[in-house]
Amino acid sequence: MGRTIVCRCEDVTVEDLNQAFSEGYRDLESLKRYTGFSTGFCQGKCCTAHAARFLSALKGGDDTVADPIRTRPLLHPTPASHFARAVELLDEESK
Amino acid sequence: MAQGRRIKSPEGNPFERGKQVRFQFEGRSLQGYDHEPLAVALMAAGVRVFGRSLKYHRPRGPVCLHGHCSGCLMRVNGVANIRTCETPCRSGMVVERQTGWPSAGLDFFRAVDLLSGERLDHHGMFTASSVLNRIAGYVVRKLSGLGAPPTADPQTPVPISRFSSDAVVIGAGAAGLSAAKTLSGCGHNVVLLEAEEHRGGRLLDGATQNGWERIRDFKEEIESVAGIEIHVKTPALAVYPGDTLQVVAGNEGKTFWISARRLIVCTGTYEQIPLFENNDLPGIFGPRAMDRLVCGYSVVPAEPVLVVGERDATLRLAGRLRELNVTLAGVVTTRTEGDALTSLKRKNVEIFQDRRIVRALGGKWLDRVELAHRSSEQSDLVLDCRACVVEAPPAPAYELAHHAGCRVSFSSQSGYLVQVNDEGQTTHGQIFAAGHIAGSDSVDAAAQSGERAGLACALSLKDDAQVRRRLESMQKG
Ligand code: FES
Repeated sequence: MGRTIVCRCEDVTVEDLNQAFSEGYRDLESLKRYTGFSTGFCQGKCCTAHAARFLSALKGGDDTVADPIRTRPLLHPTPASHFARAVELLDEESK
Repeated sequence: MAQGRRIKSPEGNPFERGKQVRFQFEGRSLQGYDHEPLAVALMAAGVRVFGRSLKYHRPRGPVCLHGHCSGCLMRVNGVANIRTCETPCRSGMVVERQTGWPSAGLDFFRAVDLLSGERLDHHGMFTASSVLNRIAGYVVRKLSGLGAPPTADPQTPVPISRFSSDAVVIGAGAAGLSAAKTLSGCGHNVVLLEAEEHRGGRLLDGATQNGWERIRDFKEEIESVAGIEIHVKTPALAVYPGDTLQVVAGNEGKTFWISARRLIVCTGTYEQIPLFENNDLPGIFGPRAMDRLVCGYSVVPAEPVLVVGERDATLRLAGRLRELNVTLAGVVTTRTEGDALTSLKRKNVEIFQDRRIVRALGGKWLDRVELAHRSSEQSDLVLDCRACVVEAPPAPAYELAHHAGCRVSFSSQSGYLVQVNDEGQTTHGQIFAAGHIAGSDSVDAAAQSGERAGLACALSLKDDAQVRRRLESMQKG
């Protein structure tokens, strides 16, 4: 099946974005929550700009509609073992 | 299995292969080198499908080779979701693909892709009964997901190194290196964090810098950066605003928790593949990924290679591929002039003008590409190619600045740029940004904006007449 993939981690296609838009999800944050783009392993590095451009084009080239989605730490998936010591460390410091 | 081709590594290449090692891939013993990422050794050995996508089980392979996408994930030594483009080959390593049934190579669930029509809409699925729901949930989790839980011993907690610093610079590309150099030259202590193994960022792109000569010069410059605490393979993970900024970064053996008075973010851009039908087919790479693969690691994944793009850098990559005797299927561009184009014509590279890519075709790997005239939707030309390099509009890596609340602005042309004033200062007074995330469009411009941000940052830490003069003269020039 021919598909144009916007988000390859979550398999979100151009059709998915079109559908979401026609259902009334017309800002980037809602589009993200509805279709799931940018919620995969790469954390949106490969799709957020695509989705923003897509939305802006659907709105007739209006770039102001593409306010960034909320970004949250961590930037990359990281094993929990990297932070296991943090609690200990804070405990020691507060003593 | 068609093999990739190893070419001779040119002299002065910062990406030497190192010593030969053998590792296990799904029961076969494969050869790699100890300075070479697993993904590269696998492609050289002809492994094409690295995994399957979550929903439609479409084949997936490495796309960026810079640790940004998810195309190269595999299970390594019993731990799932390892980025093989960032993991060097080690002798005796056990590497497996983690998605697809019975295997990623032959995955029966590809049927979902073939049978589900235009869209598989999960919003209305599994809502009838709670029992069915639970079963469906179980099945879906088995089918998709990101690999099985680890069989390796639990990882021991990584030590955390906590300290403070005048300034942290994130990203050791042209902008970050000159920012760090400038800051330390002004007498401030600087921690420079680089996600990749090598410092240099775009300076390491072999083709886009007019070949190896320029790289050598830059390497010297990079090596001359002294008095800066540099951590490579240490991606910054988070920035928390506060009285002092808290920067969290981590590498294999250590987590860094740095309290910094100032921060300069120079994280560059992410490489993406533009939107066209089947743009996710393995064999399609961004220009910088192909550059790293061929010019850096000296592996040609497949031939002939089609190059699609407008930028000088992309056209120069095509020229460099030709010089390295890589078979080209041609160059697709709407450019009609420029030195890079003239030089391609001189090298007898076939140019397809006024066309754009509308569709990629192939089963598990790229077979051919359909092109259409710029003004039409209908494809009128089919080109055989086994690898395709396509340039996409820029996608700056703005996230870390955004974590801390710096304002970011979007334009279709540039993507999300971190907003800065003339001196590189963001809307958060303690944070500066330089290079491609602040709008530079070349290595030279990035280096300059790094220097400017470095000076302004130094001034904001400590007033100094000489530094002020330097900054003023830069602003004028
Ligand atoms: S993350 Fe490894 S190829 Fe993109």
